[in-house]
Amino acid sequence: MKRYFIFLLAVFLGCLLIHPPTWSQDEEDYPQEPIIFTKPVKAVIFDHKVHVEDNGLSCDSCHDDPFEMEAGSTQEKPDFNMKALYDGQYCGACHDGDTAFASNTQCARCHIGVLGMKRILGIKEEVHH
Amino acid sequence: MFKKFSQWLDSLEDKNEGVENLPSEERRRFLKMGLTITGVFAGGTLLSLVSKVDDVFGSIGGYSERYPYKPHYAMVLRVDRCIDCERCMEACRRTNHVPEYGWRTKILERHIPLGEGEWYREFMPILCNHCNNPPCVRACPTQATYKDSRTGIVRMDYRKCIGCKTCMVACPYDMRYFNEEKRAVDKCDFCWESRLSKGKKLTACAEACPAGVRIFGDLSDPESEVFQMVHSETRVVWVLRPETGARPNVFYTKG
Repeated sequence: MKRYFIFLLAVFLGCLLIHPPTWSQDEEDYPQEPIIFTKPVKAVIFDHKVHVEDNGLSCDSCHDDPFEMEAGSTQEKPDFNMKALYDGQYCGACHDGDTAFASNTQCARCHIGVLGMKRILGIKEEVHH
Repeated sequence: MFKKFSQWLDSLEDKNEGVENLPSEERRRFLKMGLTITGVFAGGTLLSLVSKVDDVFGSIGGYSERYPYKPHYAMVLRVDRCIDCERCMEACRRTNHVPEYGWRTKILERHIPLGEGEWYREFMPILCNHCNNPPCVRACPTQATYKDSRTGIVRMDYRKCIGCKTCMVACPYDMRYFNEEKRAVDKCDFCWESRLSKGKKLTACAEACPAGVRIFGDLSDPESEVFQMVHSETRVVWVLRPETGARPNVFYTKG
């Protein structure tokens, strides 16, 4: 029984080596993959890379206000829409035409649409004739 | 004598052209550019950036003064507002029972270069242009597709369709597909059967659009939004593929 337990522990530790859990990440790390919002409309992209590397934002620029840490949690809020953005909430905190380009301009810069989402997720459109 | 000649010329316009004059070569190039295959469209021949409304109207004298239909249904698409959320496509499928493999409207995407490695994205909805001079109607051997003499909507009589697909080749906008269940070609009818004939004022796609892209209305009514947009002196309005001479009733603009 004891030997069995030690074996399990070894397997568990081995797994940790191969795939370190998220809590061991450096605080400066941020999600490398872009976040795709699908509510209330499909689909809007948010890329941490662009905001952190190109524009020099730090974690606390946006977390936990206006965005909670959990990726994609904001889209569950009922007021996550363009009107809220125009009122300076969520993305609109910076995208006000002053700090960053205004929320009511360049729609398709963040709205990658269903086509953009499928491309990122690698979904091929079936062709019918 | 000249009058007789011009009458004869006019009468030719209405006649069925048969299949030999189909712009199939052109259509193949159109497809090669990736329209149906990847949903990406190229600039130039598809999209003309200068206003073509007058040219298109100009092809028959006095067209912009009097519209042949009442109501003369038309749509203006404010392309820069489109975000490809595809709610229009979903609403269309629901409303008109469009199968998975078919389409009555589509969204195209293109990346417009801004400079070194930079570009911006633009989406463009397309649908049947309900042309005043519809190549599909001229090509149909059984008159299954026809121009509704009251509303100007290009409609289908599914019972007459023999499924030869000639109209699909003739359409400059690739806006026809063969519906296996109906055993006939299907297309956008501006929601005539599903909505307009039942008293509703908007197409399903126009109603579903959250961004105000699709403005639908009566082009013969000077009070309508479509009339005012198309006739605005400061607004650039264009149509797709004006060179085909089809004289579309779907217009494009920005802002």
